[in-house]
Amino acid sequence: MIAAIPTIAEAARQIAAKQLSPVELTKACLDRVHALDERLHAFVHLTAERALTEARSAEAAIMASGPRGPLHGIPIGLKDIVDTKGIPTTCQSKLLQDNVPDADATCAEKLAAAGSVLMGKLTTHEFADGGPSFDLPKPPARNPWNTDHFTAGSSSGTGAAVASGMILCGIGTDTGGSIRGPAAYCGIAGLKPTYGLVSRAGVAPAAFSLDHIGPMAWNAEDCAIMLQALAGHDPRDPASANRSIPDYSSALGGGITGLKIGVIHHFHETDHKVGEATQRGITTAVETFRELGAEIREVQLSPLQDWHACGSLISIVERAAAYEEWSRTRLNDFGERMRTRLMLGAFVSGVDYLQAVRRRRELRAELKAAMAGLDVVLTAVFPNEAPKIDSLPKWDVFQQPSFMMPFNVAGYPAMSVCSGFGAGGLPVAIQLVGKPFQEAIVLRVADAFEKATPYRDRHPLAA
Amino acid sequence: MPGPINDAAFEYLLGRAGLVLTDAEKIELKTVCDGIAAMAERVRKPRGRMAEPALTYGFAEDDLQ
Repeated sequence: MIAAIPTIAEAARQIAAKQLSPVELTKACLDRVHALDERLHAFVHLTAERALTEARSAEAAIMASGPRGPLHGIPIGLKDIVDTKGIPTTCQSKLLQDNVPDADATCAEKLAAAGSVLMGKLTTHEFADGGPSFDLPKPPARNPWNTDHFTAGSSSGTGAAVASGMILCGIGTDTGGSIRGPAAYCGIAGLKPTYGLVSRAGVAPAAFSLDHIGPMAWNAEDCAIMLQALAGHDPRDPASANRSIPDYSSALGGGITGLKIGVIHHFHETDHKVGEATQRGITTAVETFRELGAEIREVQLSPLQDWHACGSLISIVERAAAYEEWSRTRLNDFGERMRTRLMLGAFVSGVDYLQAVRRRRELRAELKAAMAGLDVVLTAVFPNEAPKIDSLPKWDVFQQPSFMMPFNVAGYPAMSVCSGFGAGGLPVAIQLVGKPFQEAIVLRVADAFEKATPYRDRHPLAA
Repeated sequence: MPGPINDAAFEYLLGRAGLVLTDAEKIELKTVCDGIAAMAERVRKPRGRMAEPALTYGFAEDDLQ
């Protein structure tokens, strides 16, 4: 009997030492799904039998010749916009209720090759956009810290499932914050890698030039393990980068003495002022980094609103282009939120779009200059704890500039790390941003912060 | 920044996009058109005609075959 779901790193050590059975671990995760998912709605399609078969196969292989790597025998989940051969991939949309892909997405293929155990497909906002619609085929995921509250999205099921211990890690996708947002609201870790580091092949697009695939797990150490399996060139993805992949796990634990960390104060203090708990988390992070030997500096960028406008215009147009045919012929088959996003595409001109792309280049150059001499920059993920799920504004894109969108615009790696809890008992987070392909440094700083603070010891009540 | 969108332009743009909306959806959508215009204004900075978007091609070995 497994009392508490371990992290990937813990489980991998125990599996390698033959002290933990992948079958027992998978059964423990399935027990949690059966106990919790009626309230959390993290899964849209549970593949329990397949998971047990894969776990038995992993166990037999490990007993015979040891684990293939740290993900061998580890229960995982995939966001339901990730193609899975022979398993429904609905994108949470009425339009794809009967869609069963005949091939795996590259990220699914890589996680399978690493020996992971697929528990099923996880709830998402429709086509990874549009917020929590209540008129979709399945209900939106609920926050394990308080089920009246939002998980954020669009990788909502991944956030809820990891936080509640139904899986040890899962795939998220991020076009304007859809990995980092749910990681923040659900109190886990989520890394949006550099654009092009992880293949998007076989994953439904939200906005081609802003879309990223990445790991979501309980902590930075587990994100490093997952990223190791996911990163790498893929000719099936036209934007895939061809670079050598470092050993992300070995970059952890070396301390952060001498690293230079910039703080974009004006983002969260002026441009979009955050609440007390989030500010406290940022202040704690700055103090912790300083105590750990890092040097703290101030960073100035264009106002958050400029980044948000740039990313939003690009996102609106690229989404409208990707889904134009269905918008014209089956608009009413989309859920309410996605429909509204698609409608906006009619009002952004070609010139508007290209001006946004030109602005993008300027903003990217600005970030590059601002980060010269720095290793990582720090800002918020959200202004506050998760709001109630039924209190979200429909047109939020026009109401609040996103702290996450700047790093989709720039394509830089960015990570959400739990930095405490608010008055309502829900988590808050900091965002750490690195230079392109410097995920190892981001993970190292995140890992150091997690180990220096007590926030990873606290688990949601629903778990 | 351009003024609020007029009814004719609004209908034209919806028609050009091939979107068929209910009257209620149109009324709601019209309330946020100014938000799009404000964003479009925000990305326009003095930059001159030579400022290119960042278009690059990932030429690889198979382009040479």
